[in-house]
Amino acid sequence: MNEFTGIVSGFSVCCMLQLLIGIPVAAGLLLFLVPEKYLNAKGIAALLVNLAVFCLALRLFFSSGLMSAGDGNAISGCIRISAGAVASDASRYIIFGIDNLSRLIVAAAGFFAFIISLYSLVYNKINKVRNFNSWFLITVGCSFGALLSDNLLLFLTFWGILGITLYMLIPGRNEESSAAAKKTLILIGASDSIMIIGIALLWWLTGSLSMNSISVPTDNTPGALAFLTLLAGSFTKAGAFPFHTWVPDYTKDAPASSSSLLPASLDKLLGIYLLARLTRDMFILSQWLTFLLLLTGVITITGAVMMALIQHNYKKLLGYHAVSQVGYMILGFGLGSPIGIAAGLFHMINHAIYKSGLFLAAGSIEKQTGKEDIDDLGGLSGAMPVTFAATLVFSMSISGVPPFNGFASKWMIYQGIIDFGNGPGFVNQLWIVWLGLAVLGSALTLASFIKLTGGIFLSRRKQEFSGIREVPALMWIPMAVLALLCITFGVLATNLIVPKLFTPVSGDFVFTGFWDSTFVSILVLISILLGIVIYLVSGLKRFRREDSFIGGERIQDQAAYPTPEYYKTISEMDFPAWMYDKAGKKWFDIYDLSRRFVLWLSRQFSLAHDGVLSGYALWVFAGLIILLLVMI
Amino acid sequence: MAVNFFYFLVFPGLLFLGVAGAFLSWFDRKVTAMVQFRKGPPVLQPFYDFFKLLLVKETILPKYGSPVIFLLAPVFAVFGATMAGVFILLPLFNITTGFRGDLLVIFYLLTIPSFSYILGSLASGNPLASVGSSREMKLILSYELTFMLVLAAVIMKCGRQFDLYSIIAAQQASSPFAASVSGVLLFIVAIFCIQAKLALVPFDMAEAETEINHGVFIEYSGAAYALIRLAKYIMLLVLPSLVAALLLGGFRLDGIHVLWSLVKVIGIVLLLTLIRNTNPRLRIKQAVNFFLVWMNLLVVIAIVLIALGY
Repeated sequence: MNEFTGIVSGFSVCCMLQLLIGIPVAAGLLLFLVPEKYLNAKGIAALLVNLAVFCLALRLFFSSGLMSAGDGNAISGCIRISAGAVASDASRYIIFGIDNLSRLIVAAAGFFAFIISLYSLVYNKINKVRNFNSWFLITVGCSFGALLSDNLLLFLTFWGILGITLYMLIPGRNEESSAAAKKTLILIGASDSIMIIGIALLWWLTGSLSMNSISVPTDNTPGALAFLTLLAGSFTKAGAFPFHTWVPDYTKDAPASSSSLLPASLDKLLGIYLLARLTRDMFILSQWLTFLLLLTGVITITGAVMMALIQHNYKKLLGYHAVSQVGYMILGFGLGSPIGIAAGLFHMINHAIYKSGLFLAAGSIEKQTGKEDIDDLGGLSGAMPVTFAATLVFSMSISGVPPFNGFASKWMIYQGIIDFGNGPGFVNQLWIVWLGLAVLGSALTLASFIKLTGGIFLSRRKQEFSGIREVPALMWIPMAVLALLCITFGVLATNLIVPKLFTPVSGDFVFTGFWDSTFVSILVLISILLGIVIYLVSGLKRFRREDSFIGGERIQDQAAYPTPEYYKTISEMDFPAWMYDKAGKKWFDIYDLSRRFVLWLSRQFSLAHDGVLSGYALWVFAGLIILLLVMI
Repeated sequence: MAVNFFYFLVFPGLLFLGVAGAFLSWFDRKVTAMVQFRKGPPVLQPFYDFFKLLLVKETILPKYGSPVIFLLAPVFAVFGATMAGVFILLPLFNITTGFRGDLLVIFYLLTIPSFSYILGSLASGNPLASVGSSREMKLILSYELTFMLVLAAVIMKCGRQFDLYSIIAAQQASSPFAASVSGVLLFIVAIFCIQAKLALVPFDMAEAETEINHGVFIEYSGAAYALIRLAKYIMLLVLPSLVAALLLGGFRLDGIHVLWSLVKVIGIVLLLTLIRNTNPRLRIKQAVNFFLVWMNLLVVIAIVLIALGY
């Protein structure tokens, strides 16, 4: 392992890595000592730490020429921390590595941590989580740890702590939220233990635990099994089918800042980071595993978005979308081509931007109105203009409306799929299936965001909301920043963002399609200006305002047709009705299925407990005999 | 750069699309009148309509809605239609320039008008508009997959090229894609898809004059409605041109071929008009079924045929 010697204006990279992980964790532990009544001070301290860490992450990002195209695929330097504080044996395991991939994701994670802690300054007062700031900082530090470790055991340690902080960041205020928290902990914990099997298999196969040096073919059973077990960990963290079921439950009950920190941004970054490591570095994918990846990708996209379509609770709806969007990233990495990988990473960053923004917006709406259902809301666009504008931008981004960022990354994924069709294998020949279902998912996303934006902000204003005002500046500034980022990433996608940020990680490629995002955005601006001119010329000032016309009838409260009712027709059709029925019975929930299996198993065992002494004696002897046979 | 603004604003952009689309709209109304044994409007009627709305009529805004989005939605609709039109007509007129968009971009741009109508109608706060926008969204859901599959089939036929220049060039080098069994199937499906995209009978349930008073557009008047009319004119030219480019071999601009190119677009519009004048409106559920089951079945058969080389 070559020593990385880049010294950056006084800071060695090694020292920066230690600080990145150490500062937030130490600050988080210190903040446990400060009593909860100094909430503001704790919030400010956390914000400052996050700002410092973000600056460090940025510095690491820009620190050397490693981000230049070309040498992007290899880990360019690994750092062995000298065994000063730890025992000398342990230093074999404490190995950190940094390459273009982890550098990019660390910078992104630092950014989201900073933005969300800014939002939390005010939001903390209502989020009801004890020691929120401490757990927040520990989460951030451990995320950096997981992103920067090269040794798989070290990686798993940080990864495991993240499962616990996820659990600590949701308040158990009632039975439902406690159940959601428990479900999250069990699913994440189970996946971590499955990952241990995978790591053991890797050790057995290669004799190495360094992500950097492993490259395992998957056309044999142990290799494929190791890949699948580690994939389960990645899918559970990112929230992909069939391990996704904790996400919607978690987001429904957790405070918006927790949802926006973990399931929306950091967990996605980490899960997809692991997926990237698995598919790019550690394993050579066989045809069947590629097929499996792409299939899970499209099932995740369409299945989760169909569930989102019928939700009434807007936080749960967003949770289902946090699942569905992962499908696009899996598609990107499943393709395996440079454009696919770049598209997957681009979509991951885009998703983190708009989804954390959407959760922040959801938190703002909840704070101002106290309502959790779309049905109870309506017409808030005038009362909360910034939240509305930001939500509209996020919604259009996630639905892939050009020229926003979501469109740019989806466009790249579709291109990757069409190129993928040139390959010889049967998976390549199915490219139309992958393309068609990905596009269908995008249309369904548009539909459910029409429901969300329309239902909360656009429909007829309700009298009870006449007193609602915009959230304080410290809460809307983060949303506005994220919305501007959505626009910037979309506008500059093809000529700046992708070549500068993602090509160094994925390797060079050329776009096979044509999309001049910057110029089209200029044309959008021109169109809006022209539109305003037309309205001004036709006398904007003299426009009259009248109540709605409904065929001459007087409008009444019952006359509404709220947006959550929109897709009832679809849910009544044969196949969707069957799907929703089974989903209602938790057929697709791996947590519930395994719970049922365990209960069934324990019932079988309880049959052996018949209370007859001779029966028990028989069991004991049978056990002894089997033991002896095995020993001999 | 400057020439690109010309492409967008004048030719083949906004001005050209608007004027040509308005003439097509007159053609549509005239044919409709002939089918119904009426005399029909004069040639300039679409222009009279547009300028009356823009300059004379009063614009009324919803009292309990969101006026900004209500007014901006038609602007977005015109933008989406125009942008898609530019990306479709530039290859058709064989103008080579660095400013181009591929089929995926065109596909997404073509959903912007429908999406804007939905936003605008929701912003009006009218329950009838809400019914209309719900139907519009469900219609989008049903035809979007079919439309993408048609595009994918054409892309497949063309050896996975997905910019219109190569698709047109491939057809002009041999024969139009429609001159094959799979091509005929694709043409049928494409016609129904654009019928739905244009919200013409039998797929006009989002506007349904007789039951929900124009649905999504119920609250629009004056200048804002003029822009919506403009977007509709443009779409009436853009979508038939897209089908002409994808399946009928595109345009050729030398000698007698100019006439042929015109006949292609007008012929498709004639087909759309005849369908809309001889069919009743479907219920939304029937429309969803029609696309999700029958049209998708046709496309899948076409794709299998393409894979087999027909």
